[in-house]
Amino acid sequence: MNHSSNDPDSEPNEPLRYLSKDEVAALETELLSDYRFGQQQLIEIWGHACAVAIAKAFPLGTLAKKQPTVLVVCGPDQNGSVGLVCARHLRIFEYEPTIFYPKRSPQSLHQDFTVQCEKMDIPFLSYLPTEVQLINDAYNLVIDAILGPEADYTDVKEPYSSILATLKQIKIPIVSVDVPSGWNADEPGTDGINPEVLISLTVPKRCAASFLGKHFLVGRFLPYDIQKKYELNLPEYPGTDCLIQL
Amino acid sequence: MLGLRALVGIGVLVTSQGARALSKKTSCPLLGGSITPHLECPRRLLSMAQPIKYLGQEEAQRIDEELFTEYQFSVDQLMELAGLSCATAIVRTYPLDSLVKRKPSVLVVCGPGNNGGDGLVCARHLKLFGYEPSIIYPKRPNKPLFQNLVVQCEKMDIPFLSEMPSEAEVIDEAYNLVVDAIFGFSFQGAVREPFSSILATLRKITVPIASVDIPSGWDVEKGSPDGLQPDLLISLTAPKKAATHFRGRYHFLGGRFVPAALEKKYQLNLPPYPGTDCVLQLT
Repeated sequence: MNHSSNDPDSEPNEPLRYLSKDEVAALETELLSDYRFGQQQLIEIWGHACAVAIAKAFPLGTLAKKQPTVLVVCGPDQNGSVGLVCARHLRIFEYEPTIFYPKRSPQSLHQDFTVQCEKMDIPFLSYLPTEVQLINDAYNLVIDAILGPEADYTDVKEPYSSILATLKQIKIPIVSVDVPSGWNADEPGTDGINPEVLISLTVPKRCAASFLGKHFLVGRFLPYDIQKKYELNLPEYPGTDCLIQL
Repeated sequence: MLGLRALVGIGVLVTSQGARALSKKTSCPLLGGSITPHLECPRRLLSMAQPIKYLGQEEAQRIDEELFTEYQFSVDQLMELAGLSCATAIVRTYPLDSLVKRKPSVLVVCGPGNNGGDGLVCARHLKLFGYEPSIIYPKRPNKPLFQNLVVQCEKMDIPFLSEMPSEAEVIDEAYNLVVDAIFGFSFQGAVREPFSSILATLRKITVPIASVDIPSGWDVEKGSPDGLQPDLLISLTAPKKAATHFRGRYHFLGGRFVPAALEKKYQLNLPPYPGTDCVLQLT
């Protein structure tokens, strides 16, 4: 596929598709089984691109606090691991991430990501204060890498329900990875957390269709065949960029 | 105020790694006085004082080993970042609109080890960037990592040639450039077939060669006066000593994943990458 077109307005494009939870799960299964992508490989691609998106949305020089501190809250599954990789790349990009990762995945695949962060001297908090002002004062932004689209939004267990309750009250911007945690991936959110930035992984989910904040798409690895199969109508990634601002 | 300090990890129970890092205080002559480690000296200014280090073969192997054992990176992760850097450096050096042939064709020659794996990842990203790579991969390791990378390329409709054209002219006609991903920093000793023939052919082509990490066939430390003469060299992690003998036009650094502690341990003195770029142009 030759991306020689520079003018997106010159050709009629089908609208970008927002996928349902089930479609996303099916697509991801195909990527791993038929297309033989590795889970760690994909998590690395997503995490790296999230960090690039965050750096684009909140460049180092524009942060309000004296130190470029970022709080990264990681859930127990894939979404959390993407957060860990993102934190590592933010560190490489000279941000100062701090991770809160209350429930660590027992899978060795995900444990590796934790060690990599520790070895980059990224601190891991042992608890998240419930006093919102402390979070507002210490960090420039919070990365929500708690729950992915597959999570059961109707039954968010501790400690995440308390964490989300705290995050609903903070004043600093929240950047959500893939879906705002606690939202129904298939429906626009009503009273969940309210992120300023959403970074959709690979494809946007239905709940993002009415998202009003800054929306990025990352995950520039999807083969053309699978794009066609799911009729994704993805816009073109500019140049060698690993993200698209939607 | 304990609360604020708690949130940046001081005064709260953190992992031992974190605690060690946070308890160190360093003095920064540029900023004056004692500062906490997070507020490091601007790397830009520090690294300008010391030149970038060129690694010997053994050092390079030790660093690689540490990345996988101590730092617990997986080969897939780092290979993905390395391949992406290679593709990005190639795009910067030979942008689509600068290519002379009708099609943006690129020949990617992959060797039997990790250098070949980097080439496979690079080919996949080149396809995503709008190029038309073809791959030659004569000796494939029987490991899932490499087998999966091959499937990923096949599923992107990247053709695998059954054999290397033996005439340089055929390559010159068909391709805009050749990516040399045959041998990397572990290379030692004699070159076996089919690679000796392949290298003999590549020495005769006139289209540019982009070498991944080490120009294949070169001694990793001493270079090779009658070996391949690539136009572009993409050093991964840190340049090796062979790069001091590089006479091509473009030298990039890629593989932006080196943890600060590792960089310090080996005194790599890596210059800062611009912004969030995954490559840095050295020359």
